[in-house]
Amino acid sequence: MPFEPDHVLLGRFVDAHERGDLAVAATYWERLAVNNFDRVKNTVKGFRFSPGGPGIPPDEHGSAASEAFLRVIAMSAGFRKRETGRFYAALATCVEHACQDFGRKELRHQRRSAGSLDQRYEPDGDAGPYDAALAAYDADLRRQSKDALDEEASRQDAERLVAWGIAQIKNDNHREVLELTYLEKLSGQAIADRLGIEPNNVYKRRERGVLELERILREQH
Amino acid sequence: MSSTDRDRILSEFIDAWNAGRRPDVDDYLARAEERERGELADALMAFLRFAPTPEYSDEALAEIRADPIVAPALAAAGERAGLLPTLFVRLRARLGMSNADIAGELVSSLSLPGDRAAKTEAYLGRLERGELEPSRISGRVFDALARLFGVPRAELEGAGDLGSWTMPAATPAFRAEDDAAKAAAPHLDLLAEGLATPGSAGRDEVDDLFLGGR
Repeated sequence: MPFEPDHVLLGRFVDAHERGDLAVAATYWERLAVNNFDRVKNTVKGFRFSPGGPGIPPDEHGSAASEAFLRVIAMSAGFRKRETGRFYAALATCVEHACQDFGRKELRHQRRSAGSLDQRYEPDGDAGPYDAALAAYDADLRRQSKDALDEEASRQDAERLVAWGIAQIKNDNHREVLELTYLEKLSGQAIADRLGIEPNNVYKRRERGVLELERILREQH
Repeated sequence: MSSTDRDRILSEFIDAWNAGRRPDVDDYLARAEERERGELADALMAFLRFAPTPEYSDEALAEIRADPIVAPALAAAGERAGLLPTLFVRLRARLGMSNADIAGELVSSLSLPGDRAAKTEAYLGRLERGELEPSRISGRVFDALARLFGVPRAELEGAGDLGSWTMPAATPAFRAEDDAAKAAAPHLDLLAEGLATPGSAGRDEVDDLFLGGR
């Protein structure tokens, strides 16, 4: 089955759900899960229980990734958004929760610092760390007139949350590099050529910009 | 290692990701000095959370589907009980608990009489083997399992909802022979009679919890 972008699969998934065709919806979600498996697996490997701190032991990566991937597939039951940015936020929350849950076995005897295990989980709640940014993004959308949502804007819907987050970055240099990285998917060298700067400057701006974007989407400055 | 090296490693990961080359975080972390790995991991995670999914080739997608994590998960999702048995077993294993342990916890959290633990354990065995229709399991059981495993109830229910018990296949269209109704009538009468006959074993609250629906 050839590759189809996440925003196309998400749209078809929601359409199928809306017409009650759950079996077809499940096939689209399965393809979304496959498209995002590397994101899941790498998130498990890079996950840290606290910033810069220890992660899941390497010999547990396979088990943790299996659990996280199962939970991503099961997530389809409650997810009905069409936008990939929201999908990525939900997926990140799901996988990081799975990692934290997995870590309970390792860390249950340790005192947890703020922002780690004990703080994050409400069994019946569905609040995620990106909810504040999503709410602010929704408010911005509501302020826009419907006329502004032309064909081109609709085409870009898939990336709008991320684009909105990038637009919040105040440093022009960081914002410029992020737009070329996330939206145009240019390589570091291509960005350096485009902007007429050294690759080392691209690397530095990318790192700072990536961290700032994630913080904006997580905390909504 | 200077911060420039860390920036460069992150940037090379981003380039490999965007090009669909399926970079592995471990390979990139291994290139950093140990004291820098935590910060590099944080930056890699920050990118991965909202990174655009690359346009994978057919070969790359086939590789992903054949991955030892992905293939069994996709196969399990198509079973009658969906992913619920697989997820249940994995969550239980993570906590290092047996079905007997879980049954004991359920009996306590659901305020069941202590002598119902064995029957509860038997139902958990059926759940694990995919012999229990997820839509018949009470919401109270899902709530209790969710609290015990520390996962959202919706994920457990969602895992079960993926199964063919919940999503029936399309009804096949066929044309019966002219005398089919006459031939089937005695069998249907017998079936109806059987269904209407009260069972000899009494149904208790454990049966209701696992067979009574949400």
